[in-house]
Amino acid sequence: MTRKASRASAGVISGVALAVLLLSGCSAAGSDGPASNTVTKEEFDKAMTTPTDLTFWTWVPDIQNQVDLFEKAYPAINVKVENVGQGPPHYQKLRSAIDAGSGAPDVAQINFEYMDTFALTGSLLDLVPFGAGELSDQYVDWTWKQVARGDAVYAIPQDSGPMGNLYRSDILTAAGLDAAPVTYADYAAAAEVVRTKTGSYISNLAPGDAGPVIGLLWQAGVDPFGYDGAETVNINVNSDGAKEVMSYWQDLVQKDLISVDPDFTDEWFQGLAGGKYAGWLTAAWAPVFLSGTAASTSGLWTAAPLPQWKEGDNVSGNWGGSADAVMASSANPIAAYELARWINNEQEPALKFSTDQFLFPTLNSVLADPAFSDQEAEFYGGQKVNALFAEISKTVDTNFQWLPFQDFVTSSFNETIGKAIAQKGDFSAGLDEWQKQLVDYANQQGFTVTTS
Amino acid sequence: MTMAKAKQVRPAPAPSGARLRRRSAVERKKNRAAYLFVLPFVVLFAAMLFIPLVYAGYLSMFQVRIIGGESFIGVANYIRAFLDPRFLEGLLRMGVFLIVQVPIMLSLALVFALALDSGRVRGSRVLRLLIFVPFAVPGVIATLMWGYLYGNDFGPIAQVARALGFAPPDLLASGNILGSIMNIVTWSFVGYNMIIMYAALRSIPEELFEAADIDGAGQIRVAWSIKIPAIRPAILLTVIFSIIGTFQLFNEPSLLYRIAPDAIGVSFSPNFYAYNLAFISLDTNYAAAIAFLLGTVIATISYIIQHFANRSQRSEP
Amino acid sequence: MTSTQVKSVAANPPHRGGYSSERRRSNLLTALMWLAGAYFVLPIAWLAIASTKDNEDLFTTFGLWFGTKNSLWENLVSVFTVRDGLYLRWLVNTILYAGVSAFGAVLLATMAGYAFAKYNPPGFKLLFSIVIGAIMIPLTALAIPTYLLFSGLGLTNTPLAVILPSLVSPFGVYLMRVYSADAIPDSLIEAARVDGAGEFRIFWQVGLRMLGPGIATVFLFATVSTWNNYFLPLIMLNSSELYPLTVGLAQQQAASAAGGGSQALFSTVITGSLVSIIPLIVAFLVLQRYWQSGLATGGVKG
Repeated sequence: MTRKASRASAGVISGVALAVLLLSGCSAAGSDGPASNTVTKEEFDKAMTTPTDLTFWTWVPDIQNQVDLFEKAYPAINVKVENVGQGPPHYQKLRSAIDAGSGAPDVAQINFEYMDTFALTGSLLDLVPFGAGELSDQYVDWTWKQVARGDAVYAIPQDSGPMGNLYRSDILTAAGLDAAPVTYADYAAAAEVVRTKTGSYISNLAPGDAGPVIGLLWQAGVDPFGYDGAETVNINVNSDGAKEVMSYWQDLVQKDLISVDPDFTDEWFQGLAGGKYAGWLTAAWAPVFLSGTAASTSGLWTAAPLPQWKEGDNVSGNWGGSADAVMASSANPIAAYELARWINNEQEPALKFSTDQFLFPTLNSVLADPAFSDQEAEFYGGQKVNALFAEISKTVDTNFQWLPFQDFVTSSFNETIGKAIAQKGDFSAGLDEWQKQLVDYANQQGFTVTTS
Repeated sequence: MTMAKAKQVRPAPAPSGARLRRRSAVERKKNRAAYLFVLPFVVLFAAMLFIPLVYAGYLSMFQVRIIGGESFIGVANYIRAFLDPRFLEGLLRMGVFLIVQVPIMLSLALVFALALDSGRVRGSRVLRLLIFVPFAVPGVIATLMWGYLYGNDFGPIAQVARALGFAPPDLLASGNILGSIMNIVTWSFVGYNMIIMYAALRSIPEELFEAADIDGAGQIRVAWSIKIPAIRPAILLTVIFSIIGTFQLFNEPSLLYRIAPDAIGVSFSPNFYAYNLAFISLDTNYAAAIAFLLGTVIATISYIIQHFANRSQRSEP
Repeated sequence: MTSTQVKSVAANPPHRGGYSSERRRSNLLTALMWLAGAYFVLPIAWLAIASTKDNEDLFTTFGLWFGTKNSLWENLVSVFTVRDGLYLRWLVNTILYAGVSAFGAVLLATMAGYAFAKYNPPGFKLLFSIVIGAIMIPLTALAIPTYLLFSGLGLTNTPLAVILPSLVSPFGVYLMRVYSADAIPDSLIEAARVDGAGEFRIFWQVGLRMLGPGIATVFLFATVSTWNNYFLPLIMLNSSELYPLTVGLAQQQAASAAGGGSQALFSTVITGSLVSIIPLIVAFLVLQRYWQSGLATGGVKG
């Protein structure tokens, strides 16, 4: 899942393929050399039985459970899990540590959208020498594309963020609606009804979060970013398609049918807990963040596909999605790789991510696992929500790309279109402003910029 | 005894020959000791103040791009800064902060100091401490506290307003955020400035009040004509500290950024801008230019103010 | 002057003392001042009250009064156990950084201030005015260049990165110079010299003894400055075990916004904040005699 800066969705990765590989004695040589060498079984065994301390930076809630399982499998390895922030603060700290040459973790969670940004600076270890190349067909195609660059693999996918409409069925029922709106036109009408009859907002549009907005653009078939892996970027955030989507939201916002509160703040959590928001257009991983402050609403939620722009359509977007990568500076690359791989590739921890933390899996074997697809989530009042999201994830356009300077993309979002949202102003002008800032920055950093 | 007194009164004879050499040796020994005393401080001083400043100046003349690496660009970063609307806007905002918040804060500090010094307030000792206590609270925590108090949905201020029947103003909206931050800074530092002034007031020699006493002048007259002029050095000190502090504003915008992302931009204050340039935009060299500008500009302003204030003080009888 | 005036001057020492008791108290002024006092105490009172609430109460009950139950104990436990007791580590770090920095700053500033006051070798006047001019240099603006410098030297993410910059206190030098000039009579130094004592011995045995309140003031303010510092440790430190309380609490606040699972909740951040301000407040209360007179010297002499 790719979330805006702050959210990381942990991916679930199964390690069946790797285990098979290792058992079959696939030979490798040189554990800390460049891509040409591969790790031998002897080196692997030695690394995994030598007492080692690993540091793991991630913000996935409760990931200690998966880490505990890992430590049980490899008693000699001791993992310290640290949450250094959600999204941008995490990436800033990571970058500072890498620049300073000290304090960087062994393994770090990296959202798909930041993969280019970190790979470009050589901060991530190529995992092919450790056997990662063999994992490719175990994962959902487009998620693997997010972590592979040319011949290199930089991370193990953990989860993705297919978007849906999570709503409070009790509030909608109180407003006289018995099902979620199917089209955006329906959604606008429903927004009015919900607001007048119950006082709640049918959803919130956060002014400081680029992730969901990009996800909604993604759903509408808008392709704002492109990067060829070398020196050319394509930036087109103010296309007609984008403006059409945003003017829809501007209308609802200005009519006070959609609120514009910053998300992932204590006040916002309270809004969810207290029913200020009747719904949330968000990704599959959303519930895990509601299990703290908004835990009292468990059981009242239902998931449905996003509203569609055209009657009869069935497309979605993606928000978030992360992978676990090994830092090039790690002193224990073999153990670090195994940590990143194990929790995201072994069936047990990977499945746990989905059933316990509601992360949407990228591992085919978990997607096919009945424990996953048949799960009746208590949070959703018993709905088989995983099956729904599995269907939704198939409708996500897989060709989406990102820019190799994602920190700037998200921070300039706040200054431009985000500001327009917060002030309920001109969203179209906001998009133009965002476009200008991004193009200026890309030019300034030496990229060749195209704007189609 | 008379002989000793006479000896003390007569000027010392000019040193000659051996005595001259001995005296210089003593002088040299003293001088060496003096330099040794200041050496540790001066070394660290140079290392922590001047070298970073010079290094910032050095870095600011280069440019590192994601594509293309490092290159020398001379003063281009400074030209960019002078033309950068966000940097200038941040400076302007600090200017507004300076002319609004500093006078308010220092006037309050002065009024409180005078009130407590006048002896007409019951429980002045406790009050002194209460007003000063916010200084012991780290800015980080003060901002967290006030950030919550300001909350539009759940903050107590909003709750009280609603209870009284009127809609609470959104204290974190972009129109109000500067005022809200001014409040946090004022709350934090009035006490500190007050104590400086109060201590100075307490040190005013009694004789200055004799004439006023005889004339039967009222408290306010006394305050205006005697007390305030007498503590001018202390007031000047607080002015200079406040100016320096204002331009260094970082904590409040940094911590309120999450809960008021539209009100606080990345260039809210020059320091915050430099931080974001260095750590988000990865434009370390430009950040160095901004830091260098900021450091030298403020130092110059403060030095000028102090220089003029000293001059006018010296010219007084 | 008449004899009564002479007597009154003699009776009232130059330092104002008996002035206040002669005037009558003003109720209006008292009321206004106490109102002002309430404003300053308000957020701290809120912090104390909020620390007794659990996360739900924080958002559902009136902010300035107590909640439905007293959760102070649970909150305290949470503060000290979350993330394997990282809070305690932060507290220790803060004490370490502040203590070492203050001690070092005082030592350096006292030696330098004493020297500036009592000696005048060539070049000293210029040196002193450079030092005083440096008071004007905004230290926070230098934090980023210092970070870049340390980064090049590999010093970041170490306690030294926070302590070294905090050892430099131009204001401390200024204060100690003023205080030394004031409190240590030249004659005492001369006498000691005549007795044959070395310069350093004189400083140590004669000078230091008389600089008590000044030292206490500089020590206290250097402590506060380092204790409350946020920007410098924020950019210098990456490992959360090295954080002082300011950075740790801010990070915990950001992490609590994740809201899910076993992350620290807002109530933990609040109670942690309360605990963190207690030591400094206590220190100020206990040492108020010293810093009040120390500041007096600095403020008056100008």
